[in-house]
Amino acid sequence: MKIVLTRDERIGIERDGGMVDVSAAFADIRYRGATDRMPRVCAAWHDRRSKVKALAANGPTEAMPELQAPVPRPPKLIAAFGNYREGSQRERQKQDMFLESPDSVIGPGGTVILPNHPASVFHHEAELAVVVGARAKNLPADERALAALIGYTCVIDVSARGLGCIGPSRIGKSFDTFTPLGPAIVTADEIADPQDLRVTLAVNGEPRQDYSTKDMEYSVVELLAFISGYMTLVPGDVIMCGTNHQGLGALQDGDRVEMAIEGIGALAVSVRDPQRREWPRGIDEEMAARQRAVGAA
Amino acid sequence: MRIAAFDDARIGVIGNDETVVDITDLVQQFDPLGPQDYLPDLISHFDVLRPELESRVAHGGGKALGDVQLHSPLTRPSKIICLMGNYREGTDRPLQILDLFFKSPEGISGPGDTVVLPPHQADIFHHEAELAVVIGREAKNLTEAEAMDAVFGYIVYNDISARGLGRAGINSFLGKSFDTFAAFGPWIVTRDEIPDPQTLHVTVDVNGERRQDYSTSDMERPVHELMTYISSVTTLHPGDVICCGTNHQGLGSVQDGDEMVTSVSEVGSFTLHIRDEHERAWQRGIDREAGERVKAAAQHPVMTPGAGGAAQ
Repeated sequence: MKIVLTRDERIGIERDGGMVDVSAAFADIRYRGATDRMPRVCAAWHDRRSKVKALAANGPTEAMPELQAPVPRPPKLIAAFGNYREGSQRERQKQDMFLESPDSVIGPGGTVILPNHPASVFHHEAELAVVVGARAKNLPADERALAALIGYTCVIDVSARGLGCIGPSRIGKSFDTFTPLGPAIVTADEIADPQDLRVTLAVNGEPRQDYSTKDMEYSVVELLAFISGYMTLVPGDVIMCGTNHQGLGALQDGDRVEMAIEGIGALAVSVRDPQRREWPRGIDEEMAARQRAVGAA
Repeated sequence: MRIAAFDDARIGVIGNDETVVDITDLVQQFDPLGPQDYLPDLISHFDVLRPELESRVAHGGGKALGDVQLHSPLTRPSKIICLMGNYREGTDRPLQILDLFFKSPEGISGPGDTVVLPPHQADIFHHEAELAVVIGREAKNLTEAEAMDAVFGYIVYNDISARGLGRAGINSFLGKSFDTFAAFGPWIVTRDEIPDPQTLHVTVDVNGERRQDYSTSDMERPVHELMTYISSVTTLHPGDVICCGTNHQGLGSVQDGDEMVTSVSEVGSFTLHIRDEHERAWQRGIDREAGERVKAAAQHPVMTPGAGGAAQ
């Protein structure tokens, strides 16, 4: 099933290109806003599954309404550092992850607003994201870890370069609007192998990123095991699996960005820069070469 | 005013007679989903609630502080924002580029709680005592003039830090995000009681031995500047917390069985216990090498902004 959250805060399941409203399955879940609702819906998912399925099968289909991110404000937004081999033969790098501001999330059709900070460039990073469905600590690095997920979605980890002082900047990835997420959470049972998905991103129709999750250094279950060894995962947490930097490029005012993951969905957002700065268009080959060189020595 | 959490998910105000007056019923009127909403709700409605809070405290009838178990008033902040090296530490270096990281808000520790060291093979686990700022309202792009209005109050923070984990050269700070590694206490002191947050004295004592001992006057970026900058990056919410960074001179290891008191003058102090199932042992006392290393690195910074280095 593909779970969506509408702008008017209804929970739906995608069907035939439209949506069936299944909010009734979660009617007893108290909430004060979309922010605290979706983590509670994620937590209840496994219990409500058959009820949702029945509603989705029998309810009327409506044209797909305007959507917001399926988790508009994750309790935690967790990111993997460079997690793709990118064509290099290197030993895999030491595993590491970090946290971004969960207030950076926007939904499909949203607008990434480039801030008035002196970044050297703003890049798109298309990634596979996993959404946590259960409290979890110390998960094993095998199939059992997947039971802690509700499912998968698309994420663009927008990244300002050149801010901060040590290595890649967390500030640069945490600006408000810098994490487009969605459009739907595809439940884990629908994805036979998360390590065999094609991720693409195009800007104004021009292809940029195009890679397979086969190339991940640390697989989804290894990411889950690693991070849950540090901190308790809670329903609604979003883990971004890292990007393949081959194909990154600048985002600038007026750009229309579309990313897609096969079997998961397509996520489109636009970009606005009140400062109207300009960078070279197309793929940033210098960044790509630099990333291929990581670990090569 | 001092706001405390105590006993079984109670929230209270501390009076001048060192008693805590239960005000849980007042915050429950906002239809909380759970105790994690009490503090953000109290903060959001503080101006309206204040007269009632003051009259209750004046009326008395609270429990003696010695008869209650205090907890971290921040139970599950929506964001913990930590500053990287934000003290001059006796150097005459130029102002560093402001940088920060986010710490996991799960598994918060508080007064009397036990910090549990994980089995991960860290080089060492350090304490880092800090002044922390509790956010008072939703805030974005604060101006210098309004920055301090968005501060609700201050709290004592200890940023427990595992060293030597993670990928070299990028410093993920993930070693600070183990469950129980964010410790707050003993209560929140509202902003009006601390006219100048840049004149506070921060200390750590481990098993009675003084370790960190510094003044917030040495901060590179004062609180109002942190508020302005951080709110230009990410929206702040009531109950979010900005940890102002530590002075690394005086850091030392924490290990199994340690009892640690973290204190900030005019705010308060609280005790933490340390447990390590593996009973690892490190040198006791101040880690002078770590202090010198931080000083040297700051004096001769290696600039590796994302534009020139690997993006990761």
